[in-house]
Amino acid sequence: MKVVGITTQQEVYVGSKDRNFRINEFLIIEDPYQDNLLGEVVEANTYNRYIPLNIYGDFVDSSVLESLKALGYNIDDDTIYIAKVRLLNEALYPIQTGSDVRIPKFTEVKDIMVKSKLGEGLVLGVIKNTDDLAKDMDEDLKGILYTFEEGALIPQNDIPYILDLKSMHHYPHIGVFGGSGSGKSFGLRVILEELMDLDIPTIVLDPHYEMDFGEGAPYLEGTGRDFKDKFKCLQVGIQIGVRFEDLTAQDLKNLLDAASNLTDSMNNVVDILFKPKDSYYSFSNRLQMLTEAQEEGSLDRIESRITNARDEEERKAWIERRDLFINYDKLCPYNSVRGIIWRLRRLGNDGVFSKDIREIEDGLQQGKLIVIQGSTRILQVFSTYLLNNLYHKRRDYKDALYMKAGADYFPPFIIVTDEAHNFAPKGYDSPSKSILKEISQEGRKYGVFLIFASQRPTLLDETITAQLNTKLIFRTVRASDIQTIQEETDLTVEECKRLPYLRTGDVFISSANMGRTIFARIRAALTTSPHTLNPFDELKERRQEDDDRFLDIIMAKLPINDIDLAQVALEIEQETGTTYTVKALEERLKQMVNRKHIRKEETIFGYRYIK
Amino acid sequence: MNELNSILRERVKDLNLCLREKYDYLFGLSKKELRSFINSHVGEIKKMDKLDTSQLALYESRGGIVGVDGSVNRLGGAHPHYVEVYQALAKSTSQKEGDLVLADLYTPLYFDEEEDSLVDEEIIIGDRRNEKLATLELDVAIESVKKHKPYAILMDGGLIRYNIHAHDRWTELRQLCEEEGVILVGVIKDIKTSIIGDTIKEIDGRVSNRYYDREILFGQLDYGEMIIIKDEVSKKLARGYASVFLRSSLAPSVIGMDIIDSQREHIQEMARLVFTLTPENSRGVPLWLDIVDKEVLISDDIMRSMMEEYLDRDLYERFFVSERDKRS
Repeated sequence: MKVVGITTQQEVYVGSKDRNFRINEFLIIEDPYQDNLLGEVVEANTYNRYIPLNIYGDFVDSSVLESLKALGYNIDDDTIYIAKVRLLNEALYPIQTGSDVRIPKFTEVKDIMVKSKLGEGLVLGVIKNTDDLAKDMDEDLKGILYTFEEGALIPQNDIPYILDLKSMHHYPHIGVFGGSGSGKSFGLRVILEELMDLDIPTIVLDPHYEMDFGEGAPYLEGTGRDFKDKFKCLQVGIQIGVRFEDLTAQDLKNLLDAASNLTDSMNNVVDILFKPKDSYYSFSNRLQMLTEAQEEGSLDRIESRITNARDEEERKAWIERRDLFINYDKLCPYNSVRGIIWRLRRLGNDGVFSKDIREIEDGLQQGKLIVIQGSTRILQVFSTYLLNNLYHKRRDYKDALYMKAGADYFPPFIIVTDEAHNFAPKGYDSPSKSILKEISQEGRKYGVFLIFASQRPTLLDETITAQLNTKLIFRTVRASDIQTIQEETDLTVEECKRLPYLRTGDVFISSANMGRTIFARIRAALTTSPHTLNPFDELKERRQEDDDRFLDIIMAKLPINDIDLAQVALEIEQETGTTYTVKALEERLKQMVNRKHIRKEETIFGYRYIK
Repeated sequence: MNELNSILRERVKDLNLCLREKYDYLFGLSKKELRSFINSHVGEIKKMDKLDTSQLALYESRGGIVGVDGSVNRLGGAHPHYVEVYQALAKSTSQKEGDLVLADLYTPLYFDEEEDSLVDEEIIIGDRRNEKLATLELDVAIESVKKHKPYAILMDGGLIRYNIHAHDRWTELRQLCEEEGVILVGVIKDIKTSIIGDTIKEIDGRVSNRYYDREILFGQLDYGEMIIIKDEVSKKLARGYASVFLRSSLAPSVIGMDIIDSQREHIQEMARLVFTLTPENSRGVPLWLDIVDKEVLISDDIMRSMMEEYLDRDLYERFFVSERDKRS
């Protein structure tokens, strides 16, 4: 391998007669006038001056090439390989043309490839096309993971990519971008597995109900592991909820809005009627009494209720209603108050107010990964409340430390979410956006970090995108997203051009810590998402089960003559409790014939079903 | 400008008419008539098959096939301010590292020759060029026979010209090939003979025009057919060779092939080899010779950069940069 052509201080072309180059592989250029220089292949080409086979405009057919091969000449031998190599650090002078080029030894690239020790970083996968370097790699870096390719596990051949977790302190927050099917969710799963391995307190907002780590991946055939004691799935309204007493009016409005959109007038009602330290009961009671007063229609009628009260209790209650009516009737239209009541009950019935976030706090204290599940709408609101709460707990603790005051310990933690653009959208406000923005800008100080995954980086708030110091970019097809990626990362134009063609699980990792983009492949996840059953397989399985059940019942009764159908239906009902009308039974039998489980036969008496 | 165009247009029309008249007789012949004439007076028209892989593998084991070609390029202006570079290559199909290259150059500035009259300057240049080139090609061929002992050598161009331009070397190569049992073949892309035309003229008294074989045979042979020219016919042409015409590709033109007399028993076999190595959709030249041709070629760019690199700039400018080169 030699440097060929015109060179610069940044880029050279390397030619070889026998070794094909791969994109992103590393090469050392032995310039006689400078130190050895390390470069990365950014473009790989092959060239054969006889192919395309149009020597002087002739089109060469394969039979002639075969003949030449039989004569001992293989036209492929005339192929030359050319790589465009970009130096990692600019050279002092343009590279000497003709300099020798070789593959580096592991020790020569270790510092730039492996930034973190095992056990301190996240082992996300392998750096692609580094198998030549990995041969003399340190033993402890070998065989630590598998990749998953073409439906099979592949042992590790390359240098592992270890994301330096500690560097998050200087380069906080991670973005994970890629279209559907690009391996983004798997990438996120691998990140979470690694976080659990290191016992990092983590909160995952999971609108898809897919972040469950209880099942080993099927392809590991039982050799995988589960993380049962390292994570906890909590559903909003079931295990966890909002402590009503902690809510501000704004929080409450957000919550109610999540139940169903609020009108301006309803917002107003909450502002007027909600008092700090209200409990769910006291607030809902106030609303209830106001509506009851409003239903009476006028002050006179309420007064008469007071006068005619049967006992002291009722009288007091109506006095209270009267006071509310006097204070609020003009400000709070009846319909709006009813609207608020309806929404409040709905959340109450969902259990949102009956639980608290104690379990989440405990989990974080224990260094667990807490998966919070719920619909996107509920999560948006709940996370606003939750993150505010937790972030301030951590912040108060740190601030207290600075001021040398005592405070309860609260650990640093990481917030992870898929579909992050729903939580911090660009261009319009969402309840959770302001807290996420605050964390993105200040979280580093307090040890609170974000890992945001999204299919649509373009839709994600720009302030937050700008703060994502490490970005994992999977296959992306949408032009606007590629544009965003190009603006927000150090991916080169060539790399951006490759984005639509990346294989599932291949990823560009652009990290401020590395100072350049690394082309990697995510390792095989150890666990599997609970939704891996294809819905169409599910349909098929379900149908098979139904058929089997029906056949079980029917087989013993064959042959069935058409005139006996009513009798058979009756028998089935008696035996199994399943009711078929004659028509439905016949329909079902016909299906069985179509699916070739039984046959239909014409007889002189009509037709009958037989085995 | 339009005036000139109309004059030229008339001239071209005239040419068209002339050609039609001159070839009236030839075009009047049917394909069948012509083919039967060739069959009975020139040589048998034969269908040939491509060689199969096992046959080719046999050649490979016996040293492979060597292709020989030369090229020439010239840089500079009018006499004597120019330099000519010659290069010849012998490339073997079976020896990966065995390419043999020889090169030479000539400029009247250095090789002081007596100044002839300017009239036949071009002829002298042409002769010298042919001579140099033929010598170089024969030299690489000789060396490759000694070194590779190939099964056969395919020379680019007819063998006859070597006898004319470099007689001694030619005799040497010929003898060497006969001794070593190396088959020596010349492949002629552009046939310039008039064997058939002359035979027609001889037999049919009405014909007075000279017809060339290339014109006559255009489109008359089917793909994969050859004419093995009878001895008595070819002898009129030149002694010591046996020749065939063949249509080796789907293009209607026909190519020629020479072999030395003593090896005439291989003539059909070699024609089949040429046929085998020629792509169906090509101009009819064996791919191997095209590859050799492409490798031996000295392009204008290489020529210029070589001169710029290795000649001192003042010398280069003084002697070899012509007025035409400076036009842009």
